[in-house]
Amino acid sequence: MFTYILQRLLLLLPTFIGVTLIAFAIIHLAPGDPAELRAGGGLGAAGAEGLSSERRGGVDQALAAWRAQYGLDRPLPLQYWRWLRNLCTLEFGNSFKDNQPVWSKIAERLPITIQLNVVSLVMVYVMAIPLGIYSATHPYAFGDQVTTFMAFLLFALPSFWIGTLAIVFLCGGDFLDLFPPGGMTSVGYSSSWSFWQRLLDRAWHLCLPVLVLSYGGFAGLSRFMRSSMLEHIRQDYVQTARAKGLSERWVIYKHVLRNSLIPIVTLMASILPGLISGSVIIETIFSIPGVGLLAYEAVLARDYPIIMAVFTIGPLLTLLGILLSDILLTLVDPRITFSGRSA
Amino acid sequence: MWVRTRQEGERGQCWVVGLLLLCASLLPAQAADTPVTGDWLVSHMLSDPESLNPLTSNDAGSARILGSIFETLLDHHPQTLELRPHLATARPEISDDKLTYTFTMRRDVHFQDGKPLTGWDLLFSLKAIKNPWVNAPFLRVYYQSLVQAELVDDTTLRLVAKEPYFRNESTLGSFPVLPQHYYDPEGLLDTVSVAELVAMRPGDPVGEASPQAARARQFAERFNTNFARNPMGSGPYKFHSWKTGQEVVLQRDPNYWGIGQEGIDQAYIDQHTARVFNNTDAALVALKAGQLDAMSLTPIQHLKQTSGGRFDKQFAKHLYFAPSYTYIGWNNTHPIFSDPRVRQAMTYLTNRKQMVKTMLFDLGEVVDGPIYLFRPEYDKTLFSHPYDPQKALQLLGEAGWKDTDGDGILDKVIAGQKVPFRFEIKFNSGNEIRKSVALTVQDELKKHGIDANVRQLDWTIYLDDVRSHKFDAIILGWGMPATEPDEYQVWHSSQAENKGSNVIGFTNARADALLEEYRRTFDPQKRIELYREFQQILNQEQPYTFLFIQKSILAVERRFQNVNLYPGGPRSLEWWVLKAQQRYHELSQ
Repeated sequence: MFTYILQRLLLLLPTFIGVTLIAFAIIHLAPGDPAELRAGGGLGAAGAEGLSSERRGGVDQALAAWRAQYGLDRPLPLQYWRWLRNLCTLEFGNSFKDNQPVWSKIAERLPITIQLNVVSLVMVYVMAIPLGIYSATHPYAFGDQVTTFMAFLLFALPSFWIGTLAIVFLCGGDFLDLFPPGGMTSVGYSSSWSFWQRLLDRAWHLCLPVLVLSYGGFAGLSRFMRSSMLEHIRQDYVQTARAKGLSERWVIYKHVLRNSLIPIVTLMASILPGLISGSVIIETIFSIPGVGLLAYEAVLARDYPIIMAVFTIGPLLTLLGILLSDILLTLVDPRITFSGRSA
Repeated sequence: MWVRTRQEGERGQCWVVGLLLLCASLLPAQAADTPVTGDWLVSHMLSDPESLNPLTSNDAGSARILGSIFETLLDHHPQTLELRPHLATARPEISDDKLTYTFTMRRDVHFQDGKPLTGWDLLFSLKAIKNPWVNAPFLRVYYQSLVQAELVDDTTLRLVAKEPYFRNESTLGSFPVLPQHYYDPEGLLDTVSVAELVAMRPGDPVGEASPQAARARQFAERFNTNFARNPMGSGPYKFHSWKTGQEVVLQRDPNYWGIGQEGIDQAYIDQHTARVFNNTDAALVALKAGQLDAMSLTPIQHLKQTSGGRFDKQFAKHLYFAPSYTYIGWNNTHPIFSDPRVRQAMTYLTNRKQMVKTMLFDLGEVVDGPIYLFRPEYDKTLFSHPYDPQKALQLLGEAGWKDTDGDGILDKVIAGQKVPFRFEIKFNSGNEIRKSVALTVQDELKKHGIDANVRQLDWTIYLDDVRSHKFDAIILGWGMPATEPDEYQVWHSSQAENKGSNVIGFTNARADALLEEYRRTFDPQKRIELYREFQQILNQEQPYTFLFIQKSILAVERRFQNVNLYPGGPRSLEWWVLKAQQRYHELSQ
C-alpha cells in the first residue's frame, strides 16, 4: 500500500504542473491589463484631472514601473518559471491590490470558508442519510413521494435566488426580522463579549448561509442514498439475510446500509476541494469574507498572484481528494486491495 | 446580539420633540442647534478598501476613509469649492513667475500620538511621494511638476514647480501629511533631498548604487509592505480596527488639535463604522433593519423599495448631482463620423429628454457640455439639440447620405467606394443604463435607414478597445472633481495618441489653443471666458453626443442633524445626534 501511495503521489506531479500551466496561460491570455486597471484604466482616475501630454508620459512611466515591480514586463515563460520556483518554497508572491503576501490573505479568510463549509457538509450528511434510508425502505409510499418531490424541487431552486429571497423576507427589511442580512458579526460585536455570546452571534449569522449552501447538496445526496440503498436491497445477499431469519432492522442497518455507504463515503473526499474554493455565490450574497469572495474579486481585478494561488490550491486538493477517496474505498470495502492491483 | 425594534426609535423621537418644545418655551433656542458629541455612524461600503496606506492606495473607498485620518495644507471649502488653508496659516505666496509656492504652516498641530507636526513631516511626506521605489506611481504623476522642496525655517516650506499651471497651488497644497517618526522611524529619508529623489531612476545601475538611493529603496520596501493596515495621521478620526471583508472602524480623537479652533471643521460622531455588504439588496435590508445608518441607493431602490411612510419616518433621502456625465463618443477618425454634420444628426436622433425620463426616472438632467453642470465654467446658454429626426435627415442628406440602391439603408460613396451607413456601438456589460441607451439609439436609427450593431464587452476588454481606438461608437462616462475643471487631457489633439484620454480622436486647432491658454491663465474670470468659447466649439462639432448627469441618492437615518448637501455630496464629518436620540453609547473595544 505504501508503494502504491508513493506511486500515486509521484503521478500527481505532472498532472499538477499541467494544471497550473493551463491556469497560468488562461489568466495571461485573458484580456485586461492589471496595471491599467490599477491606474483606474487611465480613464476613470484621470477624469477631468487634466494631465498634460507630458504627464501622460508620466502615467506610462508609472505603469511601466509598476509592471517591473511585479515582474510583469518579463516574457511569459520566464514569469511562469519564476512562479513555479517560488512555489517550491511555498511563496505565492504579493497581491497587486495592497502588496500584502497572498498566503496571509488566504490564511486570513480560510477559517471562515472552512467553518461555513464544514457546518453545511455536516448538515448535508446528517439530513440526507436518514432521509435516504427512509425513502428506500418505504419506496413509493406517500412519505417517499413527498421527499422525492421536495428533493427535486429544492435541487431545482438556484441558491442565489433562494438566498436573495431569504434576505428580503427573513432579515428585517419590510417583513420578518429573524436573521442578519449578511456579514459575520453584529454591529456592536466586541472581543470583550463572553465566549457564549460570541458563539451565539456567529451561529446566528451563519444560519441562513449554511441553510442555503446545504439544501441543494442535501437534496441531491438523499437521492443518491436512496438509489444506492434500493440497489442493495434487491441483492441476493439481502434475500439470504432475511431468509436466515434476521430482523428487518438488522438487515437494513447492518447489511444494506454498510454496503450502500461505500459510494457516499468516496463522494465525501471529492467534496474536499469545495471546502476551500467552494462557496463563491453564497459568500457574495451574504457578504461573507471567505476565500471564494477573495478569488472572485481577484479575477475581476486581474490580481494574478491571488488567482494563481487559488488555482493551485484548488486542483491540488482535488488531486489529493481523488487519492484519498481511493484509499477510503479500501477501508470501507475490503474487497478492494492495492496489492491485488500491483501484482 | 444586537436587535432593535422599530418602535423604540419612534418613541425616542416623539420624546425628543416633546423635550424640544419644552426647551423652546423655557430656554430660548439652544439645545437644537448646539452640536454635541457621541453616538456612531454605521455606513455602507460595497467592498473593503484596497489598503489604508495613504500613498499607495488608489481607490475611492480608501480615499474616503483616509480623508478623515490625514490632513493637507489646503482644502476646498465644501460649498464655494474655494481653496482655503487647513494645516497652513494662509494660502501660499506665489512668485511672479508662478513657479515658487511658499507655504507657512500652523504651529499648534500635533499627530494622533501627541507628537507635534512640524515642517519636517511636510518635507518627509513629499519625499515619500517622490521616492521612485514607493509603490505610488499614480499619485506621483500629479507631483511630477514638483522639482524642488525645502524648508526655509521650521514652519515655512518652499516648493518649486516645473511649469506655470493654475492648478499647481491646489495640487502642491493637497498632499497628505504623514508623521515621519511613525512611517520612517530610522530617519532613512533624512539625508535624501527631494531634488536627489527627482533625479533617481530605478533600474539605472549607477544611480541605484549610490548610498542615497540605497536608503530611499530601503525606506520604500518597508513603507510599501508595513503600513497597509495601520494608518496614523493628524486628522479628527483615529484608525481603530479593520476586520477584512467586514468592517473598518474609526474613532474620534478626543485630543484632536483642531478642537475648538476657528475655521477648522469639528467632528461630533464618536465612531464611524463602515460595514461591507457586497450585495446592495442585502445592504438595503440591513438599512431597514437598523443595522446601517446611511447608504447610497440605486434609482430603483429609491423609487420602488424605499417609498412609504415607515421608511420616510426612519430615513431622510438626499439627492444630489455627483460630478459626472454619460456620453456617446463617436470615433472622429471613422470615415462615417469624421463629418461633423453626421455627428450633429446623431445627436438630433438621440431623444435625450426621453432617456432621462424613462431610464433615469427623471433622476438626472440632460447636459450639453463636458463641464460639471454647477460650475461657473459651464455654459448654460449652449444650444441644446432637441430630438428632431427631420433636421437630422436633412443634415445627413447634406453630408451625402442617401439610400441609392433601395435596400433600406443609407449609403454614400467614400473614396470611390459605396459605403452603407453601418456601424457598431460598444459598451461595457453589466451597466444597464448604458445598455438601454445603446438599444434605444439602435432602434431609433433603424427607423431612418441606419444599421447600428450593439455589442457589450467585459470592462477590461472594453477598456482596451476604447484606449486603442478600436470602435465606431462607445457609450461611456466621465467622473470628475467638483473643483476647477481642466479638460486638456480629454480634448487636446496631442492626447489622441499614445493611448491618451482623447479616445475619440477629436482635433480642432482653436480648441487646442484655448485649452493651452486656459492652463496658463491664473485669473478665474478669464478662464471662464476661455471655456465658454471652448464649449461653443464642442457644441458645434458634437464630437460626443453628451447625454446626461445622474443624481446620486443617499439615505440617512433621521437622528443625524446638520446633514447638508454640497456639490460633492453630503459630508458626514459635520453630522451630530441629540443626546437623547443617541443609539450607541460605548465605543468598540
